Amino acid sequence: MRKIKRIDIPANQSRSAADPPMETSLKNEQLLAEIREANLTYLMLAQNLIRADRPEALYRLGLSEDAADLIVNLSPAQVLKVAHGNMLLCRMRVDDDLVWNLLTNHGLSANAGKAGNDSANKLHASILMAGRYAEAL
Amino acid sequence: MASKSVLTDSRQVERAVALIELGARLQVLESETDLSYERLLRLYKEVAGHSPAKGQLPFSIDWFLTWQPNIHASLFLNIHEYLGKASALEDIDLIMKAFKLYCEQVAICGVEPLLSITRAWRLVKFIDTQQLASSQCSKCGGHFVAEPHNHYKTYVCGLCVPPARAGKSAAGGGIVLH
Repeated sequence: MRKIKRIDIPANQSRSAADPPMETSLKNEQLLAEIREANLTYLMLAQNLIRADRPEALYRLGLSEDAADLIVNLSPAQVLKVAHGNMLLCRMRVDDDLVWNLLTNHGLSANAGKAGNDSANKLHASILMAGRYAEAL
Repeated sequence: MASKSVLTDSRQVERAVALIELGARLQVLESETDLSYERLLRLYKEVAGHSPAKGQLPFSIDWFLTWQPNIHASLFLNIHEYLGKASALEDIDLIMKAFKLYCEQVAICGVEPLLSITRAWRLVKFIDTQQLASSQCSKCGGHFVAEPHNHYKTYVCGLCVPPARAGKSAAGGGIVLH
């Protein structure tokens, strides 16, 4: 319970000495900073991609047109604000076993009669990924 | 034509140049732009540095159904469909964009691109005229180029169950199976 609360406290607020040891809170702080960094990098990359070539960016990012609109219209100040949080803004694109196995080359014998090599698996995965998203939109 | 817009004309030329750079045949240019044959011919020589190839376009449907080309064509088609749904582009721009992404993806997989822009264009035409269709594989659920009226529930793609001699070729740059 206490740990969850910890995250919500802004960094500038003073802490009582009785709280968890300095080490864990430092670690936590570092994790939050890393999440912020990843969010920031993601948002900036997304903005760059969308500005450079919109249709291509939609494919690369796996975003809908609306989401792309929202992201590209964020001002730098807004980007900073949105990136600041304790959750990652981007999430895994691959959410099923089959594609995941093809990408990592695991458990192939289970779903394919013959084990393909790396490039065949990658091709198969890209076909499936592009297809899944075309279905979802 | 006096009413011809200069702006449209320049866009058409731009598009033709982009197509030539991607290696499109003259027939594709003729069909996708309103420029005259003579202008296209001159443009082609200027951009490509040689005369366009003569002869008919490859027009066989069967090519797309053979094992290796089928995988390439399917990848392209999936990207093409994705882009078509995600954004409102003109047909030929869509093909060009999907083709670029396809080449990129294939290069990452370490395979030579088998599909040319002309083939890709033909493929989209075949799909439009329903001479070919995209079928869902009953094993992996992916969409693959197949004959229309293919039996849906029993269709299995060439990657889930490769044909007996597939992927054994000694030639480099192709898809190899163990």
